[in-house]
Amino acid sequence: MSEPKEIEFEYSRLVVPFGPIHPALKEPVHFKVTVRGEEILDVDLVLGHAHRGIELLAQERNILQNLYLTERICGICSHTHTTCYAQAIEEVKGIQIPERAAYLRALIFELERVHSHLLLLGVMAYEIGYDTLFMQIWNMREAVLDLFEEVTGNRVHHSMNVIGGVRWDLTPVMALRVSRVADGVEDAQRRIRTAFMDRTVKKRLVGVGVMSRADARASCLVGPTARASGLTMDVRKDDPYAAYSELKDDYSVVVSDGMDAMARVDVRVRELAESVNIIRAILGRLPPGEIRLKESPMRAVKVPEGEAVSRVEAPRGELIYYLRTDGNEGLRRLKVRTPSQANFAGIRQMMVGGELADVPVILASIDPCMSCTNRLTVVDEGAGRQMNVGLDELRRRRASTS
Amino acid sequence: MTLAVMFPGVFVLSLLYSGFDRKLHARMQRRVGPPLIQPFYDFVKLMNKERIIPAAASPSVFVTVTALAAASSMLGASVLMTNLVMEASFVGDIMLVMYLVLMTAALTMIGGSSSGNPYGAIGFSRRVGMLLGYEVPMLISLLIVSYRSGLTLSFYDMVAAQSIADVVLAFSPGAALASLVFALCIPAAAGVVPFDIPEAKTEVAYGYLIEYGGPYLGLLKLAKEVTNFTLSLLFFTLFIYAPQSFPVVSAYNEWVNLLFILVGALAVYMVTITLPRTLFARMKLGQALRFYVWVWALSLVSAGLVMVGY
Amino acid sequence: MPGIVERSRKKSPWLFHINTGSCNGCDIEIMASLAPRYDVERLGCVLVGSPKHADVLLVTGPVTRQMYPRLMNVYRQVPEPKAVVVVGSCATSGDVYAGSHVIEGPVDVNIPVDVYVVGCPPRPEAILKGVAEAVQKKFGG
Repeated sequence: MSEPKEIEFEYSRLVVPFGPIHPALKEPVHFKVTVRGEEILDVDLVLGHAHRGIELLAQERNILQNLYLTERICGICSHTHTTCYAQAIEEVKGIQIPERAAYLRALIFELERVHSHLLLLGVMAYEIGYDTLFMQIWNMREAVLDLFEEVTGNRVHHSMNVIGGVRWDLTPVMALRVSRVADGVEDAQRRIRTAFMDRTVKKRLVGVGVMSRADARASCLVGPTARASGLTMDVRKDDPYAAYSELKDDYSVVVSDGMDAMARVDVRVRELAESVNIIRAILGRLPPGEIRLKESPMRAVKVPEGEAVSRVEAPRGELIYYLRTDGNEGLRRLKVRTPSQANFAGIRQMMVGGELADVPVILASIDPCMSCTNRLTVVDEGAGRQMNVGLDELRRRRASTS
Repeated sequence: MTLAVMFPGVFVLSLLYSGFDRKLHARMQRRVGPPLIQPFYDFVKLMNKERIIPAAASPSVFVTVTALAAASSMLGASVLMTNLVMEASFVGDIMLVMYLVLMTAALTMIGGSSSGNPYGAIGFSRRVGMLLGYEVPMLISLLIVSYRSGLTLSFYDMVAAQSIADVVLAFSPGAALASLVFALCIPAAAGVVPFDIPEAKTEVAYGYLIEYGGPYLGLLKLAKEVTNFTLSLLFFTLFIYAPQSFPVVSAYNEWVNLLFILVGALAVYMVTITLPRTLFARMKLGQALRFYVWVWALSLVSAGLVMVGY
Repeated sequence: MPGIVERSRKKSPWLFHINTGSCNGCDIEIMASLAPRYDVERLGCVLVGSPKHADVLLVTGPVTRQMYPRLMNVYRQVPEPKAVVVVGSCATSGDVYAGSHVIEGPVDVNIPVDVYVVGCPPRPEAILKGVAEAVQKKFGG
């Protein structure tokens, strides 16, 4: 972490509160930004405004109800949450979902990545005052939302996943429409790239919020934020799930060496093209068969005791779920580590030394999802330490119990 | 007497122009947009809302600033319109108009900083920075026009001088640079993207406007809209409009002339205010000031050219 | 001239959106209503950034304990006459979060509400209709 700058005179410092209600932030988060003139000296982060006690609620509900609870942790990446959860439960039960279901899960996954990246690019344009680009990008996004509505029945919160497969099937007519939307997205991303190369836009993004590769690794950034600082990490390639083990060769991981906000935007624009490649591959190779295991909900709810760790690559980065079932219908513990939680660790370093005008730009460039970011940390005041459990520890514990 | 009659006329025209601006902005974004008389609805609604004064503000400054800002901007526009319609002018009226425009900006800044909100203070300091950038080049280009019109400081004489000389200043060498300079200063003076830094919505939550609601906001917005109208009108009449160059129009009576001027001013409004708002992203303060250093340089170059006789 | 005032209030409702801890679904749909397809500005609505400029307060999210004081603060800052529109099922009744110990009840326990727009999330058209109904109810004849 960078040291605070030497300040000779105190009188010119101003602490500006950002949020939790602010036109730039659609979600509540509170920053205390210490500025001198336009220059940022320090940033203090206060999270937790969207804390709804989901992990505690999950312990009071049964397995099926938790599927809908985890879906509503976040509205933008809801399918990723349910996929992660369903995979964890399927792992505990020891069942394997049909191939077609795996492919359909991956299809909705990639469509969600497309819609999330388009959302972010529009929001980024809005933050720099470029209303027109925001309108155009969100217009393109509407085509994807229409597709969601056709395939799953809802624009947001698709509820596509069930334990043991997916809910809706893809007819050939719908498949045709999906491929046409994919073509539209590919065309759109080319135009978006050109729009973001505009001079006034570049002035706002280049050199803003710089995070070197070593710092990114030390702060444990994930997802496109890390990939824009030169780190090659993608759960789809490192630890394949759903149908990604078979789709390995159809896409490549997008990495950039820009280290700044422009690079993060560029990574996401190029990921749109890669997602289109995956979607086309899925449509081409969709295997026939069942879309879910034939099991009544009463049987589905009975899960043996056990624990599981599941990872997926959400649009914002690596999402980890740990859960432990109690042998009946409920969960003893659910722990969610969202990518936004990891990415917030880098915020202070990105902001200090910049200008006040950069605050919304930097915030938008890490693509924060505040509703995913609210967890409780247990602090042992007596011993003066926090109780954290690392991923390796989780893996070790899982291997020892199952 | 005509001056007092002009006030409602200026009010109606400014809000109408603002309506055109919003409609064009929406259409360029492929949206339908609000009806043209939307700003009138906005104004009436705002004037009839509850009055809230923040506890941390100084009430007298906070309130009087809004009324003064609206009044000074309307006075400036009315002076301009009266002189156009009556085809008369008094010495120094152009300076009066510029002074009133500057006063409006200063009053809104003071209002923002008196609200007791840190965002208001930031808006104030940003506005001061911007003023340094655009105010002087605007004055220099006006002085160039005055020089070209025979060193006169009265508005209608300047317009008349152009019609006698049969030259459109915007297209003549030397003074063309001056008109470019003035056009580049309009977006900053009007406070639109890319130069709406003092009242950036996503950065400082409207800056100095943040604590104003209801009737106070209505008056401040009116001041802003009238200022925009004044600036476009000024640009069109001083730099582009020369009655002899548009013989078709000047052959008719003066009401057609006036209509022509108003339509021309609307066109200027669209180009200098609506287009940048739609097409560009917002700049940071440092970048905007660096841009205005170039504008300063341009204005000095054009002054030099004009002095030498081009 | 009472007719003009009423008409102006109906034709120019300015919206302020506050998120009291929702999952973002409703907030995204509110922003989508600005987009060209639904274009809320043609009704005269503008999404403003300060509660003091607003007429209609759009509230999303079950009210979390941390956001509760902010919600009350914002509600007091919106000048009269005002309307409150609650967007989404979790703001209406808690939805999946009902029973959580960190939720300060759904919105209508804390502030008076004029229109409820249910759905998880409701479509932009439903949100527009909710706003139009609130405007009609509170400002219209």
